[in-house]
Amino acid sequence: MESSEDDGGEPLSRLAEWRDVTPLPQDDGPNPVAPIAYKEEFRETMDYFRAIYKADERSPRALRLTRRAIHLNPGNYTVWHFRRLVLEPLNSDLDEELDFIQRIANSNSKNYQLWHHRRWVVERLGTNVRAKELHLIKSILSLDAKNYHAWSHRQWVLQALGGWEDELDYCQQLLEEDIFNNSAWNQRYFVVTRSPFLGGLTAMRASEVRYTVEAILANPNNECPWRYLRGLYKDDIESLVNNHEISSVCLKPCQEFRDAVVALWTSDSLPLDPDLATAICGILEHVDSMRASYWIWRKNKLPVAA
Amino acid sequence: MATRDPLDFDIGVEDDEDGTPSPSSISPPSSPPSYFDRDRHVAFFEMLYNLMPYHYQSQEINRLTLAFFTISGLHLLKALDRVDKDRVVSWVLSFQAHPRSQAESKNGQFYGFHGSRTSQFPPDENGVSVHDAGHLASTYCALAILKTVGFNMLTIDKESILISMRNLQQPDGSFMPVHVGAETDLRFVYCAAAICFMLEDWSGMDREKARDYILNCQSYDGGFGLMPGLESHGGGTYCAVASLRLMGYIEDDLLSKNATSSIINVSLLLDWCMQRQAIDGGFQGRANKSSDTCYAFWVGAVLRILGGYKFIDKIALRRFLLTCQSEYGGFSKYPSELPDLYHSYYGYTAFSLLEEPGLNPLCAELGMTDLAALVHCFLFFQTDQKCCITALTLTIFDLSTRLLCGEKTLHRNRSLGAVKILFSPHNLAISVLRVCGRCTTLIML
Repeated sequence: MESSEDDGGEPLSRLAEWRDVTPLPQDDGPNPVAPIAYKEEFRETMDYFRAIYKADERSPRALRLTRRAIHLNPGNYTVWHFRRLVLEPLNSDLDEELDFIQRIANSNSKNYQLWHHRRWVVERLGTNVRAKELHLIKSILSLDAKNYHAWSHRQWVLQALGGWEDELDYCQQLLEEDIFNNSAWNQRYFVVTRSPFLGGLTAMRASEVRYTVEAILANPNNECPWRYLRGLYKDDIESLVNNHEISSVCLKPCQEFRDAVVALWTSDSLPLDPDLATAICGILEHVDSMRASYWIWRKNKLPVAA
Repeated sequence: MATRDPLDFDIGVEDDEDGTPSPSSISPPSSPPSYFDRDRHVAFFEMLYNLMPYHYQSQEINRLTLAFFTISGLHLLKALDRVDKDRVVSWVLSFQAHPRSQAESKNGQFYGFHGSRTSQFPPDENGVSVHDAGHLASTYCALAILKTVGFNMLTIDKESILISMRNLQQPDGSFMPVHVGAETDLRFVYCAAAICFMLEDWSGMDREKARDYILNCQSYDGGFGLMPGLESHGGGTYCAVASLRLMGYIEDDLLSKNATSSIINVSLLLDWCMQRQAIDGGFQGRANKSSDTCYAFWVGAVLRILGGYKFIDKIALRRFLLTCQSEYGGFSKYPSELPDLYHSYYGYTAFSLLEEPGLNPLCAELGMTDLAALVHCFLFFQTDQKCCITALTLTIFDLSTRLLCGEKTLHRNRSLGAVKILFSPHNLAISVLRVCGRCTTLIML
């Protein structure tokens, strides 16, 4: 099918294979705005692409041309779209296509079109490629554990194809490597709330609270576990406020650490010791001076003591 | 290196993309200027408006977006005189996809604006347009450019845009940017909302479904991810909050109004936003990540919309942004790197939010100048006494007595009536109306 070798970057006009095609230049009009000073190779490739695209030629050479265009311009969604149109009738080997995407991803791991194309291929291959996909995403995350596209793809794979069994362990591993990785905390929340194997948030809460409190005590300066803790009580804030174990954890470092107030955040309708909250806002005005006017505003919004 | 869309945020940028001069090793750090170097920025953007270096060829598919940055950027810098408005209008309009008939506008394709000439061909002998389809983000940019140069939006064929845009909305309320298939996320919900807002017509989308999708994107920590379940992110949060505001689901300046019921968890959102200002004064896009110029806009604009911008440490932010200001003009993502178009644009919007003198004020919800964002409103008026002359001249000021839209002359003897006028979305309350040199009774909208 498609050659795994690139055609060496030889100008298309010099290749015999393309002799019958008249390249279609871009019609920029008489007064283009913000024109780009295209390099020759780019301009030529896109001129040939336009010709093939307009003629709607879905052939092996068209496939090779899209590969070339993608190398030069991986953000061009029209080229990716046409490649999909060409792949179907050619009955191409989609496993090879995954390899192709992977090679492009090596230097373009943050490109929406590439990931969308990958999704398209995986949809057609189904659960057979689930393990391979999850493994690939792991390897991309090992280079950048916060790659938003990779996480988005991972969540899609889990929801579309499954594979939840080891996901909590994976989050655990990432957090051991970097407890400050907010993407890993977010994924943990995703797994805990959505995995069909874990029983949901309420069932998991007790063990998650233990884990999170440990993380807080190890690094009270880390915003992530504080927010995660509050997230565990998303629709049940009263339980959080009434939990003495948590309160004592929160209050222990509050003299020194600015993030303490996060866990004490509550809605206006619940009773709260105004003196304590007032005192904490007062402290924060000084230790978190960047947000001083915010803490003053928060203090003024506290319910007045009876 | 510039990213693809205005909404590609931080997650679309590669550090070592092909063609980019290696940023970190170029020049030794010199002491940054302590002021916003407007003249240099104007020169930089004027250069890009006239010609983009080849490094931007990988952005080819988003030509309209690149043009939007340069034109709107010059407008922010009060240098729109560098732009040939008529030329811009005809160029932008040439990107519009047109159905051949009313029926065709319902055939599933999106008749918005193309982003570049890659996918746009002249129709063949039979008048058939091959692969004729627009893109939501390009359409947003096209309309934004037209508004910026003062084009009369009432002359745009908005029907085919709006009717066909509905095809792009998914059952869960999100939007696909092109009809042939692509990722769906909050960026395109925002584009759709902004398009409807600029065209002053909401028939292009189901607002309630879009609202529901947005609400599903609010994370446990108060910010919004780009899709439900994803990590909260400065760009996603902007798209969510700005969309809700444009669609009318949240009021302006929520915090001052003590709104206890709101469809989003405002207090948690506010706290999340406030925590995004890092120790170096800049804003980060996600917890525990580096500060990046553009989030001074994405997160700053959210705070502005909510009424919480006053809480940030402006001095610290300004100091950080100036370390990202380039001696060549423009801004870079991180301190002491080479500038790119995207971060430069959002650096200017950030300085506009900081009310830097010499910059035009910003419309936070649309990411462009307040002046460009003007929309029509009806103004009802009544004079104290019947005017004896045949012409009535209305001079309209906003609350701070800034002249809004000059004079509007009505050539009839009227003491009571209505007139349609352009207003800035933020200045819908008028304080003074002068009629024929005499003060009148006030007017409501």
